[in-house]
Amino acid sequence: MKVLTDIHTDFAAVANSRDVMVADNAHWKTLRQQAKEQFERNGLPGRKEEDWKYTSLWSLGQEQFVHQVSQPGYADIHELKLVEDAYRLVIVDGRVDLTASYLDGLPEGLTVTPFSQSIDRASEFLNQQVNLEKPGFNAMNTMLMNEGIFIEVAANTKVDKPIELIVVNSGHTAHYAMHLRNVIVLGKDSQATFIETYAGNNQANGLTDVITEISLADKAELFHYKLQRESLDHYHVATMAASQAADSQWHNTNISLGGKLARNDVHSQLLGEQSHVTMNGLYLVTGEQHIDNHTRIDHAVPNTTSEEVYKGVLDEQSHAVFNGKVIVHKDAQKTDANQSNRNLLLSRGCEIDTKPEMEIYADDVKCGHGSAVGQINEDQLFFLRARGLDEVSARSLLTFAFAVDVIERISNEELKQSITGVIEKRLPRGGA
Amino acid sequence: MNDQTQQLEAITQKEYKAGFFTDIESDSLPPGLSEDVVRQISLIKGEPEFMLEWRLKAYRHWLTMETPEWAHVHYPEIDYQAVSYYSAPKKKTDGPKSLDEVDPELLRTYEKLGVPLDERARLAGVAVDAVFDSVSVSNTFKDKLAEQGILFMPISEAIQEHPELIKKYLGSVVPQKDNYYAALNSAVFTDGSFVYIPKGVRCPMELSTYFRINAANTGQFERTLIIADDDSYVSYLEGCTAPMRDENQLHAAVVELVAMDRAEIKYSTVQNWYPGDENGKGGIYNFVTKRAACRGESSKVSWTQVETGSAITWKYPSVVLQGDNSIGEFYSVAVTNNMQQADTGTKMIHLGKNTSSTIISKGISAGRSSNAYRGLVRIGPNAENARNYTECDSLLMGDKCAAHTFPYIEVKNPTAQVEHEASTSKISEDQLFYCKQRGLDVEDSVSMIVNGFCKQVIRELPMEFAVEAQNLLGLSLEGSVG
Repeated sequence: MKVLTDIHTDFAAVANSRDVMVADNAHWKTLRQQAKEQFERNGLPGRKEEDWKYTSLWSLGQEQFVHQVSQPGYADIHELKLVEDAYRLVIVDGRVDLTASYLDGLPEGLTVTPFSQSIDRASEFLNQQVNLEKPGFNAMNTMLMNEGIFIEVAANTKVDKPIELIVVNSGHTAHYAMHLRNVIVLGKDSQATFIETYAGNNQANGLTDVITEISLADKAELFHYKLQRESLDHYHVATMAASQAADSQWHNTNISLGGKLARNDVHSQLLGEQSHVTMNGLYLVTGEQHIDNHTRIDHAVPNTTSEEVYKGVLDEQSHAVFNGKVIVHKDAQKTDANQSNRNLLLSRGCEIDTKPEMEIYADDVKCGHGSAVGQINEDQLFFLRARGLDEVSARSLLTFAFAVDVIERISNEELKQSITGVIEKRLPRGGA
Repeated sequence: MNDQTQQLEAITQKEYKAGFFTDIESDSLPPGLSEDVVRQISLIKGEPEFMLEWRLKAYRHWLTMETPEWAHVHYPEIDYQAVSYYSAPKKKTDGPKSLDEVDPELLRTYEKLGVPLDERARLAGVAVDAVFDSVSVSNTFKDKLAEQGILFMPISEAIQEHPELIKKYLGSVVPQKDNYYAALNSAVFTDGSFVYIPKGVRCPMELSTYFRINAANTGQFERTLIIADDDSYVSYLEGCTAPMRDENQLHAAVVELVAMDRAEIKYSTVQNWYPGDENGKGGIYNFVTKRAACRGESSKVSWTQVETGSAITWKYPSVVLQGDNSIGEFYSVAVTNNMQQADTGTKMIHLGKNTSSTIISKGISAGRSSNAYRGLVRIGPNAENARNYTECDSLLMGDKCAAHTFPYIEVKNPTAQVEHEASTSKISEDQLFYCKQRGLDVEDSVSMIVNGFCKQVIRELPMEFAVEAQNLLGLSLEGSVG
């Protein structure tokens, strides 16, 4: 059986109760109906499904998730925001928190609203980047999602400030499940920075299911940062998918720190010539965490480039999975694709499964990938100890140096500082 | 398409040079597969009871299995009932005792293929256990090997003469239920080689078997078992060519290697079976299970393969590193042209402490072919200080071919060091220009560049094979630069 059949939450019933909201929008309604049928047919993937080979959804299936909150909990936004000056949307326990949000004075050409307030416009872009048939959460998300952020940047607009989305699962309602959809549309020759943070209080033990769909027109450029720092009892499943027109650029940074089970699917389709995607990722796993990153880059036309660096630090009994797929389609000549995945293992009991894949159907290409699994270099450790650092500090310093490489690639200085701070606190053995 | 491409394509269209068919009366079972066929094969082979039971167990399990579909290859469904599972060259009452007694037609076939069976064999120091379709026809140097206690014989003979070794080792590396094709092979295998190197013996010559598929409609199910006891060494060569046929022929071999304490086995393959014509018609389906167990401490197994033939190759020579300090190596060149499909690679399973493995894989795709590397490196939780280095490079020739890489890496021990690197490129205009400027024609330039690309692997081959392999590379790729 390729399908997980033992699912305790009746997701379909929840979807029925949410149908009221979509009544006005025919397109959304159709999609939701299709998604429901698809979900009834296929449910969630089992481990026989190649893309879920190393990640079992069994325990997620066993959970009884709750989809109603009587009252949203509290979230300390000052703690969570990564940049001071930003257009900000805050969602706590599935509901927009208007007091914590800041959406005033949007410049001309920029639309930022909760999904629920731009249903008609946002629905036009729904499910363009994700496929309901794909084994995973696309069908579930499509039939259940009821909030998120909608961003539209008009042609020739350079957004002056970052746009920040903060999603919090307060843990106020146990086993609470959120299903969100973000839609980001960048017009011709526009530019924006989007930062998304997913956080939760320690006791949160629910599910965050989110899909971010991105559409980049010619020459559009999106700087996109995702920080996932949810509680260690929480489930997080996310997809970020973009289609890129000619000369567009998507710089994606994906940092995963939290979650009992976290899965990211990052997908770029390079559909226009001279388009470029950067995928940087960092995952720090500890305890019994399980973090799975699946990335996919489709070079569909000639002269496109991609650059991917994913790094992981594994401690205690944790388990990490990396699967990076680069597909160079027929006639996509002059593709330049580079991918690397490096993992640092700190303790007995952890496990890494990595698979950098390439499928190449054109000959005039430059494609390379590498992956490595190793531990702290004894010579480097000796060097630091000889200079008076104790063993614990020396190890922490070396671990930090390994991880910080991904952070160094962030171009926004303020963001780089705040993310570095988060990483330092989170690193095994307290950072350097 | 530029002039150069056209010129090259013209050269590529050369016919398969080993394509001829020897007309010898064959003694075949009618097509079809059933328990009776399994019983009959066992009967013809004069096998003891335990072997029949073993085969039937495999057959019964095979019936419950499904055809694997995960490989990156496409082919029409195989009708296992249309295959004949046994074919032997007509037997003379006592069988040939020397070359003089061997059917001269057979000898001419080998001659054409350049198999050093007679005088040349002795000069080359190669002992050949030639498998013509399914029965071993001739063994050379057997006596010389016997002096040192080395057993080198057809596996059917070994089953009769050394049942204790067969009972102990057959299926111990590749169990009957291992996979679909291994189960099929276990049920119906007709012949193959058996090698046993006793303790402390270094095999004085390279052992070699030339396989050849001849009769039409005959699936070839070889079974090879090599056991290297403590402190022994053996180098084994396997090479194949097949005559041109229009029907797809199924080949599902199983090779098992067992290396005990400090033993070393070197297994080299040059595979040049008929790949089908330029439209993908005909050609061999090569679904092989090859696996080695480094059972003893400090043992070593090295697989080297040059794969240029077959319509479809589905082959993953693997090493299970059980003994502490054991070493596994895999060197591979896989060439696909026209409509060929290859899904090949290796598995290195690290279980013992201080085990290390090296994987060097070179894939070359031309024409409309598809060439995939699929590998697994697994470091078990108790494999302290395990080390793996993997390098897989692909060379693409022409804009209609494809190259894929699927490396699986699973690490469960924090002391492991695993590195994987892969690259894809094509022969650059610059390289070609450089060669041509120095007076080489395109064909020689390509051959030279390709040989350079594969050098790391070719140099692992024994001398005789290295020459053949280089020629093969040139032959398979003539004129495929785009």
